Amino acid sequence: MSVAESLGAVIKAYPQARVVAFADLSSRMILASQGRDDVTQEHLDRLCQQARASFDDPLFALSVEAFGEPHGSMVVGPDNLRVFLRSETDPADALCCICDHSIDLTGFVAKIRETLDSITAGT
Amino acid sequence: MTGQRRLGAGQTLNKGTLPIVARLKALQDPSHIAAGGGRVIADLHDPSPVAALLREVNETILARSLRFESAGGSSLTLDVAGRRVLRLTEATGVTGAESCLAAPALEDEHKDDLIRLMQAVAAPRHELRVSSRPMEREVDGMSVGLPVALVADLLLIELNDVPGVEVSAPPAAPPREVRRVRAAPVITPVAPVEEEVPEAVVAKAGVLGRLASGLGPALIAWLIVGGDEDGRLEGPEEMVSHLRGFLDDEATSLVLQLDLVSNERGAPVCMVLGAALIEGHCIVCARVGAAILLGVIEGDASQNLLRAWSGAMA
Repeated sequence: MSVAESLGAVIKAYPQARVVAFADLSSRMILASQGRDDVTQEHLDRLCQQARASFDDPLFALSVEAFGEPHGSMVVGPDNLRVFLRSETDPADALCCICDHSIDLTGFVAKIRETLDSITAGT
Repeated sequence: MTGQRRLGAGQTLNKGTLPIVARLKALQDPSHIAAGGGRVIADLHDPSPVAALLREVNETILARSLRFESAGGSSLTLDVAGRRVLRLTEATGVTGAESCLAAPALEDEHKDDLIRLMQAVAAPRHELRVSSRPMEREVDGMSVGLPVALVADLLLIELNDVPGVEVSAPPAAPPREVRRVRAAPVITPVAPVEEEVPEAVVAKAGVLGRLASGLGPALIAWLIVGGDEDGRLEGPEEMVSHLRGFLDDEATSLVLQLDLVSNERGAPVCMVLGAALIEGHCIVCARVGAAILLGVIEGDASQNLLRAWSGAMA
């Protein structure tokens, strides 16, 4: 399954996910994206920057100090929910998602973790 | 204004924001890719290529293998993560690299050798390039490596050099340990947000308290600083004190981080950071107006968080 197909499968399983994008955080680039929202490259760039910022200090350092290195973050705003997951084997690989507040978050996080692991492993 | 720096058109920033301003400036700098690959970080006229090298390491939070290659032919490959140099994995065209190469993790005893190697590769009047790849070896949780800030201090290099910013002395802060043992629940208010808070946000006083209540027992420790609920807290004293100490040190940086993850500066936002999000422990940080809630979540509170946030903001 290609990366785009993997991302499309997430959207199909969770229609409340507006955008699911695969990013290389080290190069600050969204490499592939799928979703029902019509997003521009600027939107995707911003999403990638927000993912990087969410895995940055000072909260990153606090988390490392308290529980170990974080691989997931979510940002709840007035209009949407953004979920960012980093690969545990290659932390530059990440999935960046924009969702409705009504999404089944527990199931969704498990699904995108499985998807990210699959993409990183190249399977 | 003690402890603050002035940027251009009357903009004042606390000292703690400087690393973030430096990071933002680095993001804006255009990249110059060399013909053979790699990004040029110092050209022939750069007065201090080693400063450019250290800033690259300082910019690298995620674990990466950085290969620094001089136009003179020498190179170093460093495993870095979290602004630390973990290992030296390759050295070409330089001498005296044996002890660093043999070390499974760089320690304090290696810093002088490492500095000499960096200075040899990042020599003036030679173009310096960097390429980044995934780290081939696992990050050993017990290996902390050498902090790049330590190396920079020894070389008298300012890692967060932002042109046009005047440096003033930081405000005197009590030692962290003193704050941690402070028994009385005296909360240091978060640095006030400089721009005016919209009336709609002011009217939502009590939002963060409602958020904490909505999260229920999964929120095992929390406190609120700033705003009308300043000083509210719950949970084991040791955990709350730790959170308070963090806010004492990092309030300004935290506000900027929340601005960076928000779609709009100063907007209400709630952020959760953890290993897996749906199990284990997470840090939760929410902001509404000038108030910030910082807490620790245990277990899967993801769905509860969405309900609690929606309920609190309603």
